[in-house]
Amino acid sequence: MSCKFNPADVQGNILRGYRKPRVRYLMLEISDRAAARRWLTAATSGTGGVPQIATESGQRWATKPDTCFNIGLTFEGLRALGTPAASLATFPTEFVQGMNKRAIKLGDAGPSAPENWEQPFNEPARVHLIASIYADDVAQLDRVQHDAVGGQQAFKLLRVRDGWCFDGDYVHFNYQDNISQPRFAEIHDRDSFSDSQPMAPLGTALLGYPTNFEGLKWRIPEPEPLGYNGSFNAFRVLEQDVVGFEEYLTAAATELLEHPKVNELLPPGAEANIQVKEGQRLPRHDALREVIAAAMCGRWRNGVPLALSPDTPNPSPDVSRTKFDYTNFDDDGAARCPYGAHIRRCNPRGGQIVQRVANHSRRLVRRGMPYGPAYVHDPAKPRDPNEPKRGLLGNFIGANLGAQFEAMSCDWLNLGLQDPRITGSNDPLLGANEPETSWFDLPLKSGAPIRLRGLPRFVTTKGGAYTFLPSMAAIRYLGSLTG
Amino acid sequence: MARNGTKTKAEGGTSQKGWFDWLGDKLDQWVDWLATTKPFAFIAGRILVPYWAWRTPVKRLEGGPRPSVQPGDNVQRMMNLVMPLKDKSAVGRALAALAIAQNKDEIYAGLDNVGTVHFARFVIVDDNICMFSVYDGDFSNYIRDFIVTIGSVFDAVVELVEGGEDVIPSAKHVEKFIDWVHDHDIYQVSDVATDILRDQEEANGDAGAGNDDLRLLPRKLILQLNVNRNVSLGSGYRAYPGYSAAQVRQQFGVGW
Ligand code: HEM
Repeated sequence: MSCKFNPADVQGNILRGYRKPRVRYLMLEISDRAAARRWLTAATSGTGGVPQIATESGQRWATKPDTCFNIGLTFEGLRALGTPAASLATFPTEFVQGMNKRAIKLGDAGPSAPENWEQPFNEPARVHLIASIYADDVAQLDRVQHDAVGGQQAFKLLRVRDGWCFDGDYVHFNYQDNISQPRFAEIHDRDSFSDSQPMAPLGTALLGYPTNFEGLKWRIPEPEPLGYNGSFNAFRVLEQDVVGFEEYLTAAATELLEHPKVNELLPPGAEANIQVKEGQRLPRHDALREVIAAAMCGRWRNGVPLALSPDTPNPSPDVSRTKFDYTNFDDDGAARCPYGAHIRRCNPRGGQIVQRVANHSRRLVRRGMPYGPAYVHDPAKPRDPNEPKRGLLGNFIGANLGAQFEAMSCDWLNLGLQDPRITGSNDPLLGANEPETSWFDLPLKSGAPIRLRGLPRFVTTKGGAYTFLPSMAAIRYLGSLTG
Repeated sequence: MARNGTKTKAEGGTSQKGWFDWLGDKLDQWVDWLATTKPFAFIAGRILVPYWAWRTPVKRLEGGPRPSVQPGDNVQRMMNLVMPLKDKSAVGRALAALAIAQNKDEIYAGLDNVGTVHFARFVIVDDNICMFSVYDGDFSNYIRDFIVTIGSVFDAVVELVEGGEDVIPSAKHVEKFIDWVHDHDIYQVSDVATDILRDQEEANGDAGAGNDDLRLLPRKLILQLNVNRNVSLGSGYRAYPGYSAAQVRQQFGVGW
C-alpha cells in the first residue's frame, strides 16, 4: 500500500475550499457508458475540450485559476460505468443504498421525505454523476458547463443548480458560516489556523489513512486505485424558510419580554452590548431576537462564538472565531453556549458527551453555498406568497458517511443523544421540528433554563445524493474500464 | 411461471390461469381451517408451507427496531443477536461461556464507555450465543462505538460463531462487522397486526399496496417465520419509556 501522501492524486475541493463566490452543480445521467469513460479519462488531463479536474497540491496555487471543476459519482453511477460487481461489493452499505433509502436516519420525513424531493433526486437511479464548477461569475460557469457537457453523448444533463455567495461567508438566516473546518497537518499550517481542537488526521476525509479512532481504518473500496485517496460526500439541497425563521425570532422575543426571568437573560441596558450595525442601539425586543438567534447557532450572527463571548457579538478585545472549547468554563458551560446550539450539537469538541469515544470522531468537511437571493427582513412587510426559494447547497464530506454524516444527523442533530439535558429535542436551526413537541433551552447562569417551545421546521430537504469523490487514479481507472 | 412479482392469488394478483394456479387457489383456501385442524398440522408444516415458500418467494425482513423519526422510538431500542456457534456441542457452548466469563469486565467497562447502553446480557439458547441489549440511538453508531471501545475483546466471542472469521479483527473490518452484526439482529415482528403486512410489501418493493385483509396475516407471518426462524414479538415492554440511559443516570446522580 502506498503510504506517502500525494496531494496531486486528491480532488481539490476536499481538504480545503476554493473560496470562489459561485458554484454550479450539473446532475448527470450516463447515457453512453463508453463515451462517459472517455470523458473521464479526458477530464484527468483536460484534453479533448473536457475541463480538467482540479486537484489538491502541497502548495496552493500562486494565482487562483478562474474556475475549478470536480466530480462525484453515486453508486448507480459507478454501476452505470460498468464497475465490476466484485468491486461494487466493497463499497459501504449506506453508499450502496443511497441517500433516499437512508431518509429516516437523516430525519428526512414529512415534508423532507424523498417522495417530495425535487427533480432529479426523486429518481435516484438516474443520478449518476454530480459535477461541480466553482467560478467567479456566471459567464465562466456557462463556459465550463458548455465544455463539460455541451454537444456530447456521454451524459444526459438532468438538472443544473447554482449557488452563490450573496454576502461573503454569510448564509441565509443571516449567519456567517464557513468558519470551523477540520484542518489537516499535511495541508494546513497549524500556526495560521488557531484552534483548540486537535488537527484532523487525514483519514477524517480520505480513505487509506489513520482516522480519529486509534488503530482503526475505514475499508478502502477495491481495487486500490479506485478506493485509495477517495472520499464520500453527502450532497444536500436544503431549503430554508427565511421568513419563518425571522418570524419565529420575533414571536419568541415577544414571549420572552413577558418572562419573569428575562432580566437574567438580558439585563436591562445590556441591549447596548448587542450591536448589529455599528453605533446602532437595538430596541430591547430586537436585541432579544439576536440573543435567541445566537443561542440557536452557538455563534452570534457575525460568527463570534458564544463560548468565548456569551454576552455580546462585539467583544472588546476581540476574540478568536475558532480557538475555543466547551471545557474548563468557570461557570456552568451551558450559560456560555447552550448544549443544544447547532454548532455544539454538530461538534461537541472536547466537551463531555454521552458517547465517550466519539469526541472529535464525527467531524465533517463542509463545503456549502447558498442559493436564492439575499433576504432582508422587514417586520412591517407581510409574508409574500411568491417569496423566492432560498437555501443551502451543502456538501458534507468525510471518509465514512455512516460514522460522520449519518452519525451526526441521527443521534446528534436530531434526538440530541449526546447530552441528557437535550435528549429528545432536535437541532433548533435545522432539525425535523414540529411546533407541538419541539423545545430549546436558553440557559441561565442561575440554573433552570428558559424553555422555548413551538419551533417549526425551518429547513426542508429538497434533494440530495451520496457521492464518492474519486481520486485522480480512480478516475483514470474508471475511464479505462472495458466491457 | 410468471407470478406477477410476489403477489399471491389471495391478494388479487392477475396472472393467467393454469392448472397450477387452480391448485394454488385450492391450497390457499385451506388456510382458514388448516391452522386449527390438528390432523393437518403435519401436512401444513411439511407440504403446504414449503409449497407456498416456493410459489411466493418471501424476502427475509431486516432485523432490529423499526426506523422511526420519533425521539421516543429512538431510545431504549432492543438488540437481539442470535449467533450460531461453530461447535454445536456442549464443549462449544462451554467455550462460549468461557469467552464471556474471561472478558466480562472489559466488555462491561466498554459498554459503559459506549454510554448509550441500558442493559446487555449474554445467553446461550441451543447452539446459539445470544447478546440481548437495550441501547439508545442509531444501531450502526452503537456497534461502531462498541468496536472502537472493546472490539478486540468481543472478537474472542465472534471467533466462536459461524462466519465470524470473516469479520475479525473487527477494527480492521468495521463496515463489514456492523453489517454482520445487523444481519444477526433478529426481526422484530410489529406490535401492530397490519404493520406486518406493510413490512412484507415494502420488502417486496410493493410499498403502498395497502391491502389490510387480516385473513392474509397468518400466511404472511408463516412465510416470514419460514425464512426468519427467530424473531422478537414486538419491541418489548418498557417501564419508563422515552428516557435515554444517560438521562436515567443523570436523574439518579450516578454520573453519565
Ligand atoms: C441550511 C442548513 C444549515 C445552516 C443554515 C447551517 C448553519 C451553520 C452555521 C451558521 C454554522 C457556524 C459557522 C461555522 O462554525 O463554520 C454552522 C456550523 C456547522 N454546521 Fe451547519 N448549517 C446547516 C446545515 C448543517 C448540516 C445538515 C450539518 C451536518 C449534518 C451541519 C454541520 C455543521 C458543522 C459540523 C458545523 C461546525 C461546527 C464546529 O465545528 O464547531 N450543518 N452551520
